[in-house]
Parts: sequence; structure tokens; C-alpha cells
Amino acid sequence: MGKTEGCKGLTKKYLPLVLTPKEFKFLFFSKVFVSSVLSVLSVANKGFRMQKYITEQNLNTLLDKLIAEGKRVVAPRMNAGTPLYEPLKNSGEIIIDQLPRRSGKEAFFPLCEDIMSYTKEGQKVELKDIDPSRFPETVLVGVRPCDAAAIPVLDAVFSWDYKDEFFLERRKKTTIVGLACTKADDACFCTAVGLSPSDTKGSDLFLTPLEGGGYACETFSDKGETLINSHAGLFSEPNNAKTVALAEPGTEAFDLQKVKAWLDEHFEDPAWDSIATRCVGCGACAFVCPACHCFDIVDEGTEKSGKRRKNWDACGFWKFTHHASGHNPRDQQPKRYRNRIMHKFKYYDDKFGQTLCTGCGRCIRLCPVGIDIAAIVEEISKK
Amino acid sequence: MCDHTNKNIYLPYLATVEEVIDETPDVRTLKLVFQDEQVRDSFNFRAGQFAEYSAFGAGESTFCIASAPTRKGYIECCFRSVGRVTEELRRLEVGDSIGVRGPYGNSFPIEQFEGKNLVFVAGGIALPPLRTLIWNCLDLREKFGEITIVYGARTESDLVYKRELKEWEERGDVRLVKTVDPGGNSSEWDGRVGFVPTILEEAAPGAENTIALVCGPPIMIKFTLPVLEKLGFTDEQVYTTLENRMKCGLGKCGRCNVGNVYVCKDGPVFTAKQVKAMPMEF
Repeated sequence: MGKTEGCKGLTKKYLPLVLTPKEFKFLFFSKVFVSSVLSVLSVANKGFRMQKYITEQNLNTLLDKLIAEGKRVVAPRMNAGTPLYEPLKNSGEIIIDQLPRRSGKEAFFPLCEDIMSYTKEGQKVELKDIDPSRFPETVLVGVRPCDAAAIPVLDAVFSWDYKDEFFLERRKKTTIVGLACTKADDACFCTAVGLSPSDTKGSDLFLTPLEGGGYACETFSDKGETLINSHAGLFSEPNNAKTVALAEPGTEAFDLQKVKAWLDEHFEDPAWDSIATRCVGCGACAFVCPACHCFDIVDEGTEKSGKRRKNWDACGFWKFTHHASGHNPRDQQPKRYRNRIMHKFKYYDDKFGQTLCTGCGRCIRLCPVGIDIAAIVEEISKK
Repeated sequence: MCDHTNKNIYLPYLATVEEVIDETPDVRTLKLVFQDEQVRDSFNFRAGQFAEYSAFGAGESTFCIASAPTRKGYIECCFRSVGRVTEELRRLEVGDSIGVRGPYGNSFPIEQFEGKNLVFVAGGIALPPLRTLIWNCLDLREKFGEITIVYGARTESDLVYKRELKEWEERGDVRLVKTVDPGGNSSEWDGRVGFVPTILEEAAPGAENTIALVCGPPIMIKFTLPVLEKLGFTDEQVYTTLENRMKCGLGKCGRCNVGNVYVCKDGPVFTAKQVKAMPMEF
């Protein structure tokens, strides 16, 4: 899943200030190796409530049983050649070794969802509400640490002040089964933003693949324990098998405080023009991001009847902030890209004390013009 | 039927269009009455707050609540028809249904204005966000000192609330200074001719024990703030309301921010001091 050579060429040609992940790897390999080993050791095996073991076969049996119980089991599956987190029909569909194209957020915050419907009869309008209590009990399985960690980050925005029950009800009804990550490519940078391939943040139950097969299971919440206890026969006591080699993303930890300190003082800075002059405003970065959560509200229907929907949106689109008058506070692409960086590494921190990036690297892999957020943040941290 | 005791924060109340008033060739006021009697009684708002208005099938638009909280039983919105939703809202006739979500955002700290003189400075379609406060203060007239209103538009026909301008002009307890841009006046025009900042400077309201409330297009604000400073107003004495593109109005959808300030939650009412501390992104 690495970036194409074409993208790298672009990066070098048009953005000499910013290094590609490959170049970082070269520059910081020794430091990275030490820091990632340390972070794995410091995060893994801490704070769990219960430890068990499950074989691959029993994991599949568990998924089938959950489906048979009427639960929505969402896991990486192939959809027309694209791996996505989607509801499984049976356990045979799971492709647990592939990182889905889009993140796990859509199990809580769908790409597009109805928030009400309307019918018109003469001058009268009738509204029909959506009943979130009808959202199904869900088990989200095989979630990479970068995806799972973003979910508690999103809790902040959807639950402060007004409560978004569309997100929160799904959140309440979903058990998250995280999976330690064994494959990193040169776009991965979870270790740079304080996470790791074995980070359990956001997971109710966490699986770590073991040498010789099967998974070590650790629970971190009541939901995780309930999942094990209600299917206790499929789990056995932990054995002493060694963990398989986990991924080692090739970026060193960013000094996020230093990054924020620079952003605090440099809303206006010539660097923004060089950072994002290439951005074409396609919005792909926001759509694949596990933490981006901006949305639009639109009506879809006719004069007579239709639905009101909440759709994903992106601050990279020119229309995102475009006023009806024609005025646009973010009238150029670099201003829109600046908002993306500011929101992730400053504004969300100012408001909720958290960083809105988990280093999954999807935006780097998919950017059609090779913009590399990890390289940009690294560059900022050195200013 | 829609149940408002539920928790869907995106679900609007239904209201009926009770009156349609054309303010200018493309600006219209809708007077709205909530269909649910309970909502009609319980819908409380403060001057400066905004709402999301639905034209079902087209979507929602964000405007201030233009009527005064002292006038009970109805609300008014005032908008220029410039886009898909506002054009659909403009098609609504008396008796038609409209959706309203709100009230949202902060408000003018009117209690702090008591005993003070007030200077309202507005340009064009930006009078409605101040008109709610003007009537609020006029309805409690004895609580405030001198009230001055400086209002201008490009042309005579672009002035909104023409009937009320006349009413304010005829009241002995309000000083109205109305103006149109050079070239925007007919031979019968009895007001001033000139841009709002210039006319404000000529009108020269005193800054002592006075609050200035400014609302208008960015260019007007830009040239009005230095005039107020010249007249002796400090940045804490000057209030404005910002109007950014919004969708949710609830601090979730992520588009109305100016730097880390969310206009929908932290605003829309700000002092000039707060505005000057923001990055230039509005």
C-alpha cells in the first residue's frame, strides 16, 4: 500500500522543503528504531482487566455466532476490490490482514445518513424523526490501533454541549475489537503522534497475533468483558506464546507541543503557501481520515417528500466556507489546507485537549499530488 | 408526527408563515408562528441569537432572529434571496410551513448596556441583527440613555425596514441618521449622502458612557472601527456580530470557525477587542 513512485517524484520536484517518508526513514532510522521499540514496550500489556487466548478458528466462530445473534459485525472486507470496514454476512468475508481504504469512523458516523424525512401536503408539512434506539448492536472487529484511537477523540466533539445521538447511540451500542498492527508502510506514522502498533486506546477488547497462530486477548472495558463472558467457551487461558513481530512505522515522535506552539503564533506565515500550493482541494484526505468529522446537512427529495441528510464534508473544498454573498473567508487553497493542519494540531487541542490525527497515513497514500502531512508536521516541529 | 421531546438535535420545529413583507426588491421578511402551542410559549431567545430556517426540499439557511425578544408569540427572519435555499424560502406564502431550529449562539449582554447611551451602526442587509436589539431597547426605553442609529445602504431602495425607519425618525427619543451611497439617492431623498463611516464621523456621537453596536459588510466594518476609535470608543465599548457560513449551528460540523473561535457557539456576538484578537479569516 505504499505510495506510487509518481507521487514521490512530485514531492521532490515541487516541495523541496518537505521530505518524503523514505527520506525521513533514512535520516532517522536509528532513532526511530529505538523509539518505536520503547513505545511498544511502554504501551503494550498495561491497564488490561482480563487476559485470554483465542484461536483464529474460534474467532471466526465468534463472528458467525454474533451475526447469528442478530448483531451487526463490521470488519475489513473486500467490496469490489476495495477493502472497507463493512458489515459481514459471515466470518469468511473478513480480510483481517488488510488495512481498509477508509477508516473505522463510519461505523459511528456514516458517510451519509438520514437525520429526518419530510412530506408536504398543500401548506402542511409533516416531519418524521429517526429513532436512534433502532440502531443495531454492533461489534467492530479487526480495527487497527490508528482507527480505534480516533474514536474516543471523536467522542469529544459529538458529545460536548449539544449531544449528537446519531454518533453517541451507535457508540454506546458498539463493542470495539482492536487488532495489533503487523504491517507498516512508509506512509504510516502512528508512532509520531504518540500512538503505536500495539496501542489499545479506543479498544474494548484488543487482539495481538501470536507466533504459532491465534490471538492474545485483553479487555479494557465492561463491553470487552461482556463479549468474552458471553462466549466464554471460545476463549481459553492465555498461553506463553510470543507476540509476532509488530509493525515499526518509520517516523520518530513529533514534539506535538512544539508544533502547537508554532501554530499558535503563525496563522500568517509564508510557509503555508509553500506547504499547500499544490493542494487541488479534492477532499480525499478528509474522507479517508479516521478523525476528520466535518459534515454538511442537505435535503434530498422533491417538492412533495424527501429526506434530510448529514454527509461527510471537507475543509479542503472551496464551497465549505463560501458565503451566499460570494465572500469566502478561506478563498485560496493554502488557507483551506492551513485550516486542516490548524484544526488537527491546534484548534481541537485548544477546545478538547486532543490531537485530531492518529498517524494512519491514509491521506498520504491517497493524496493525488503527494502532500505528506507527516512531513509537514515534522517540518513545523523543527521551526 | 414529530415529537420534540426526543433527542434529535437536527430536527426543526414547524412554523407557519403569518406575514410576508418585501423590504427591498430582493430582501424579504417572514413573520413566523410556531405550529405547536407549547413551542410557541416556550421558545425564548435573546437579541443577537440566530436560527436555522428550513425550506423543505432545499435545505437550511442561517439568519439571526430579527424580531425582538420583547415581542412575544412570533419570530421574524429577514433575508436576501441569493441562493438555492433563500430562493425557496422566498417562494413561501402566507400559511405555508417552514422549519426553524434554534435559538443558537450567544447574545448581546443587554443588561450591561442599561443606563448607557447606545449607538447602532448598520449597513444594508446587516440591520436585522441590530434591529432585534433596537426594538428590545426601545421596548424598555427608560432603561437606556440616548439612542442613535446610523444606517446606510447603497441606494434608497436597498434600505430595509423602511416603515420602521420612518417610525424611528418620528420618535422623539431616537436619533436616526440615514444615508445612501453617492449616486444611490433620488431627488426626493431627505437623508444624508455618503458612506456609513463618513456619516458616522459627521454625526459624532460621544463615547462617554456609550456602547457602539456595528454590523455591516466587512468593508464597512473595516472603515467604521477607526472612526469609532477616533470618536474615543475603546474596543471593549464596541460590539459586532459575525456571520459565517454554518450548517449545524451546534458546534459540530466544523465550518464557521475563525481560528479556534466557533462563531456558532462562541459568537455570533463579539466585542471589537475579541474580533481584533482573531486571525483574519472572516
